[in-house]
This record gives sequence, C-alpha cells and structure tokens, in this order.
Amino acid sequence: MFIINCPYCGEREQSEFKAGGEAHIVRPKQPTELSDDEWAEYLFMRKNIKGVQFERWVHIHGCRKWFNMVRDTSNDQIHAVYKMGEKPPVK
Amino acid sequence: MLNYNSPINETKDFNNLKMSEESPIMKLVIRGKKREFISKVGKLLNILLPNEPNTSTVGNNISALWLSPDEWMIHSNDKIDKNNNMYPIEEDLINNIHKINLGAITDVTDQFTMIKMEGSQIYELFSNSCPFNFNDFKKKKGAVTQTIINKIDVIIHNKEINVVNLLVRRSFSSHLWSWLNDGAKRI
Repeated sequence: MFIINCPYCGEREQSEFKAGGEAHIVRPKQPTELSDDEWAEYLFMRKNIKGVQFERWVHIHGCRKWFNMVRDTSNDQIHAVYKMGEKPPVK
Repeated sequence: MLNYNSPINETKDFNNLKMSEESPIMKLVIRGKKREFISKVGKLLNILLPNEPNTSTVGNNISALWLSPDEWMIHSNDKIDKNNNMYPIEEDLINNIHKINLGAITDVTDQFTMIKMEGSQIYELFSNSCPFNFNDFKKKKGAVTQTIINKIDVIIHNKEINVVNLLVRRSFSSHLWSWLNDGAKRI
C-alpha cells in the first residue's frame, strides 16, 4: 500500500490505480521490415528490474487518465510522476 | 427517462444519518478539450465549468461536477418529469456541440443513481471501506471526488457541509445501498 500523486487529482491511495507496464516503449516506424524476433521483442519483452523502473499507470477509479511514474520496485518509493508525452524528469 | 423500477425506494433514517434516492434527476456527461468547447457550454448552460480538479459549480437549475481535465458531469438540481426522455439542455448541447464535433454529450440519467445523504456521520460511514482521505474534503463545500466505496466506483459531491450526493452506477446501487444500510446501523 502506498500513496500515488495523480498529476490530475492529487494524492490518492494505490488501490484507486492500476499499473500498465513499462513506459516509453516506442513502436517501430516500419513494422513490416522487422524480423519475427525483433517484432516479438517489441511486442512481448518487458524489463522486470529490481530497482528504479519507468512505468505507466492509470487512475482507473478516479479521473481515468494515464500517466508515467518512476518507481523503485524494491521499496515502492516513487521518484517522479509525470503526464503522458512529457519527458522523464530523472534518469 | 426509461421505465425501470429503482432498487432503492425507501428513505432510511439512522442516528445522525438520513439517506434517500434523488430521482428522477437529469444527468449528462460532457467531454471536450478545446477552449471554445468550455466557453460554448458556459454560454448555453449559463454556468462556468469548473477548471480546478475535484471541484464543482452550482447554478440556478443545474450543477457541473469536475470528473477529469476534459470531462464533466452536469445534473439538474431539481427533479425532472419522469415521462420525458429528452431534455432542452441536452438538445441544446447536442445541436451546438456534438453535431459540430466540438465535444461529446452522453445522457447518463438512467446509468447513474443519486443517493442523497444528510447528517454528521456520513464520512464515518464512508471511511469504513473507502481509501480516500476525507479530512479536507468534508470541510470544503462543493468538493467532488471519484473514488471507491466497498470496491464500488462512486462520485461523491459534498453539496453542503454534512449534505452529500453520492452517484453510483445503477447496477451497483442495490449492493451499495445494502452496504450503506448495514454500515449505518453500526456507527
């Protein structure tokens, strides 16, 4: 259980949100030119880091908006929350 | 308004808590991002859509609740004619906004049930199964939040101090009503 600061609604409890997987995955510009392995890499393969991870979350029981979050998966510490389309504030 | 029997057709009076369904109330969800959309809605409804998150504005006949940066719920302050399925406000909005692709208008009159709650024990009851922090909310007249009560999605509108409108999807209303009654007996 932890508090997430929704960029639209403010601080809410985690149970109002849903995680949407890794953030900043860019769709290949020419999917037809990719090999099956490269396409599968884009489609299915996701990082599962123990440490700081860039994730997508949605405020599913609130404003229903998607946003990005930088979270340490080992201790659930949130380093940053930013809107879709914005660049990550920390590296 | 559709012809249906509401699962809530009673008024409950507990110690410092009174609950009843407000019906029929016109409810519309309007969506739009452009500045022109907000100004046009303002002119048509004679009400300013709330820009600030988790707030509402109350006009003479209607109220506007902030749901997200591009979504608001409009509801009538008074009860409407039960046999009427179209409302002048809705027609105005559809003709001037929906038809020129400025935004979307959805009639949710029958989709949401409005429960009016009065009394000093409202937030005690909610806090039994709601993750939202009501400390500031209950002191702020006109505050709005979307959250979960007993795992059911709800919209809570703090209309006046100790007067709350609770909006819940109709299919969940019977279950939530039972839970509220059960919980209210114990506070």
